[in-house]
Amino acid sequence: MGCGNTSKPGLTNRVFSCLAGALLICFGQYSLADEQPAFTLQGFGTLGAARTTSNEVEFVRDLSQPRGASQTWDARVDSVLGLQANWQINPQLEAVAQLVSRYRYDRTFTPEFSWAYLKYEPSPNLSLRAGRLGTEFFMMSDSRLVGYSFLTVRPPGDFFWSLPFYNIDGADAALTVPLGDHLLRGNLFYGISNGQIPLAKKQWNIDGSVMAGGYLEYHAGAWLLRASYANLRFEHDLPVHDVLQNYMSEPLVTQAAAYLATGNTRSHYYSLGAIYDSGPWQLQLMLNHCDQGSNAFESSDAGYVLAGYRIASVTPFVGYSWASSETRGNALNPVVAAIMADAHVDQKTTMIGARWDLVHNIALKAQWDAIRGEPTSIFPYRQESAGWSGKMDVFSLTMDFVF
Amino acid sequence: MKLNQIRSLLISCLLLLLAAAPVQAELVVVVNARCGVAAMSRNEVINIFFGRNRQFFNGVQAQPVDMVDAHPDRARFYHALVGKDLADINAYWSRQVFSGRQQLPPKMQTSEDVMKWIVSQPGGIGFVELAKADARVRVVYEFKP
Repeated sequence: MGCGNTSKPGLTNRVFSCLAGALLICFGQYSLADEQPAFTLQGFGTLGAARTTSNEVEFVRDLSQPRGASQTWDARVDSVLGLQANWQINPQLEAVAQLVSRYRYDRTFTPEFSWAYLKYEPSPNLSLRAGRLGTEFFMMSDSRLVGYSFLTVRPPGDFFWSLPFYNIDGADAALTVPLGDHLLRGNLFYGISNGQIPLAKKQWNIDGSVMAGGYLEYHAGAWLLRASYANLRFEHDLPVHDVLQNYMSEPLVTQAAAYLATGNTRSHYYSLGAIYDSGPWQLQLMLNHCDQGSNAFESSDAGYVLAGYRIASVTPFVGYSWASSETRGNALNPVVAAIMADAHVDQKTTMIGARWDLVHNIALKAQWDAIRGEPTSIFPYRQESAGWSGKMDVFSLTMDFVF
Repeated sequence: MKLNQIRSLLISCLLLLLAAAPVQAELVVVVNARCGVAAMSRNEVINIFFGRNRQFFNGVQAQPVDMVDAHPDRARFYHALVGKDLADINAYWSRQVFSGRQQLPPKMQTSEDVMKWIVSQPGGIGFVELAKADARVRVVYEFKP
């Protein structure tokens, strides 16, 4: 597995490019028969700007971003453009490819195939997918980039920043069972994660990490309840070897590297969610717990509550979120302890903002996040410096659109 | 005598006003008359139009048809069904489409096209004004005033 790290992503990307190319060529033969086109091309995007009140850390949307916003307005955090092609091959079979450009681990906006899969529906309430797909291992995690689809500027940070995983190469199955006029829906997925997570000047390769999980949700009128579980077995170790070598000599380096190993360790993710969505009201409550297998990470708890109420075309909202992690008591030595301290989070955030639906496919949003945490809360950020107080405010403006 | 005259004048004025007021024809949910569904609850209608359930209780595949944003019936329908604006409905569908869960149902320009679709699909279901629902379809849900 190890030696294929560099060639594998290249090959899969080429396969996906061919698939998407074929889709786009076929798009040329757009047919209007039955008024149900076999091909559709749709898109979504966000133009955003964010700034904070601190130069001691850089604020990022999640850990897939290497640099973020500080005291000057920054468009990298939230701006994104996505294009999706759907090809309905026959009533049961559909091919979907989605190309997304956003600020990513290598500090570029290089477009990537976020989805490229075949969907087969043997019966109306059973869906089977295979290929590159998004997983919903936390509620709404598969539409985190589609700003138009949610109320806030970005999904609440304390809940989602720790999720740099966007897709898997694998398969999933979803079944919906009606119970009277309520619905029960179950989903199971299994696949190989792919991607890079930036760490200081290096990147941590999460390619090849096996991810499996599922969720159960219950829909009763305006209520949606959901419980989910997923686990991830990391394939590779963190790129900390150089750092260790700078501070200690050989037998200790090997010992420390083994202590901080992430390869072959497993992380478990649990979440519970409740959504009430009726008339002008939108209420959400989500809780999660991450159980980390490696000494390099700390197990954590996070959650948020969010309430919005629509008044004509404007929906003001308020929210509160929190995230905290458990410090591991024992560390091998001070250098290892310093590396482990990087994985700590302990903060709470109050959000206030509004979404204004300008026309039927464009929304403008403004939001203020008041982050109040401990100075030791550094895992969610980039470029932290010694003066970091744990407290800052984030101001964000976005224009979200779909087409 | 005089009082009676005033009263009848008032009543006729009221009747005139009522007749002149733009009375909005009632929207109803209709299905293909041969699909075997006679009535639905509000939640069942919501589940079908939001794509959460794709089957009627008898196992027939539901094939909902929607209307374009520009048609006034679309906003009226979703407002009556779930109390939401079209922007909310479109936001919901953007999540469905771009998360890969499901595609939008076909969107028609006119009520005649909606009727044609319902009649041509065994599990066709859509919304039209009550006056436009003819013998080829069956009314399965009415909005109580």
